[in-house]
Amino acid sequence: MGWAGTRHDAYLLRISPRPLTLKLGRKKKPGGHVEPVAFEWTEGLLSILRKLKSAPDQEVRILLLGLDNAGKTTLLKQLASEDISHITPTQGFNIKSVQSQGFKLNVWDIGGQRKIRPYWRSYFENTDILIYVIDSADRKRFEETGQELTELLEEEKLSCVPVLIFANKQDLLTAAPASEIAEGLNLHTIRDRVWQIQSCSALTGEGVQDGMNWVCKNVNAKKK
Amino acid sequence: MGCCFTKRRKSEKAEEEEEQPKLYSWDQREKVDPKDYMFSGLKDETVGRLPGKVAGQQFVIQDCENCNIYIFDHSATITIDDCTNCVIFLGPVKGSVFFRNCRDCKCTLACQQFRVRDCRKLEVFLCCATQPIIESSTNIKFGCFQWYYPELAAQFKDAGLSIFNNIWSHVHDFTPVSGELNWSLLPENAVVQDYVPIPVTEEFKAVRISTEANRSIVPVSRGQRQKYSDESCLVVLFADDYTTANARKLIDEMVGKGFSLVQTKEMSMKTEDAQRVFQEKASDFLLLLNKGIFCNYFPDWPS
Repeated sequence: MGWAGTRHDAYLLRISPRPLTLKLGRKKKPGGHVEPVAFEWTEGLLSILRKLKSAPDQEVRILLLGLDNAGKTTLLKQLASEDISHITPTQGFNIKSVQSQGFKLNVWDIGGQRKIRPYWRSYFENTDILIYVIDSADRKRFEETGQELTELLEEEKLSCVPVLIFANKQDLLTAAPASEIAEGLNLHTIRDRVWQIQSCSALTGEGVQDGMNWVCKNVNAKKK
Repeated sequence: MGCCFTKRRKSEKAEEEEEQPKLYSWDQREKVDPKDYMFSGLKDETVGRLPGKVAGQQFVIQDCENCNIYIFDHSATITIDDCTNCVIFLGPVKGSVFFRNCRDCKCTLACQQFRVRDCRKLEVFLCCATQPIIESSTNIKFGCFQWYYPELAAQFKDAGLSIFNNIWSHVHDFTPVSGELNWSLLPENAVVQDYVPIPVTEEFKAVRISTEANRSIVPVSRGQRQKYSDESCLVVLFADDYTTANARKLIDEMVGKGFSLVQTKEMSMKTEDAQRVFQEKASDFLLLLNKGIFCNYFPDWPS
């Protein structure tokens, strides 16, 4: 998206996850002196512009899945900047709306116990992004989580939905690095959609924003 | 009218080039040997860790049989897999304790989350900040955490756990079976040492342990046990430097006089909560609300 200006004043408005840059290329000053001038605006400008134009933030439906004890609810609370020191195992689901980078992210965090995984399918419809959370330090259950992810990626109702895999709990001693998990899950064989693996610690927040940046970049990447 | 574009700044160019892989704290921290924080494949042994020897790391217990395992320190999270006939003590765990495929184990532990899957016959003296959950398990019995050693109080703090937040008896079963109960409460007069004995090996002599109820770091509460009477009373203490000590003292005095402690809770009280609890007197207490509040319930008056 860009606006063209006159010969003298050139404006380039670039949309990116990083701060917006509004630049004036050359400004002819009285006396003929030409100097470049640059301004930087925060991404809030985009939100303000949208509101001025009465265009609401694009709503994005995000499904947060993974085995029980993966850290999904901790991640959800971290995204919403809430207290994460007192989290109870999820019996049904949690849902939060988070404003981020000009989007309204509606995040659905669904309980991951084996018994209630059959209910995941009730939430598939109209998902824009799938976030799959893995406890990188629970090596005993790598096979189980790999199996669940494989089955999810075969689901018709989730076809072509971009998937972000959070290799969570990197703060723990036995955490496997993202590269090892990617290899173990054969992520390179995913051909039918965009995907990304991101190491993080939902507890400390490290790596979470990097993952969400990818999400915001790929919000409209659902191949059809 | 044409399109003019500015010269790209150098930093802009760098942004669009291939991003260098980012380094996180876990890429740069000192390497620790995971084997130092694991008990695996042990049989007929008494093992453990003294205070200060785990210091908040993750711990893994797996494939142990007929063992006595004592972790006298705080940790990040602990998984216990495929263990049979073990005695297990776990010091305060900041995150979750997760038992999988275990049988015939007797435990005392404190944690933020307690999870059980595919287990048979566990007896647990528990301090849990959130609702304990079980799945595909049978014969799981719960009692209130009851243990003391001098370093334990500080370990609770290090793990971010409050000794007053313990809903040990409020259990959720993900796989209930109609007509049966997969879990129950341990008898109120159960003697802790009959289940989780104090270790007698040389290694642990330095840890000055007591399993007496009145010395327990976590106040022993009745939770969901059947009440003796319908009369109850709520005690609220506003937080300051002496609140913990005063709360303990109050509990000891009242229990000594025949009252029963049902439940304790440490929380931040919002204005709406104050209205609900104190009703017409709420305005008296609003100034104190910025601090944490302890609530002790004593529903059973002496007859």
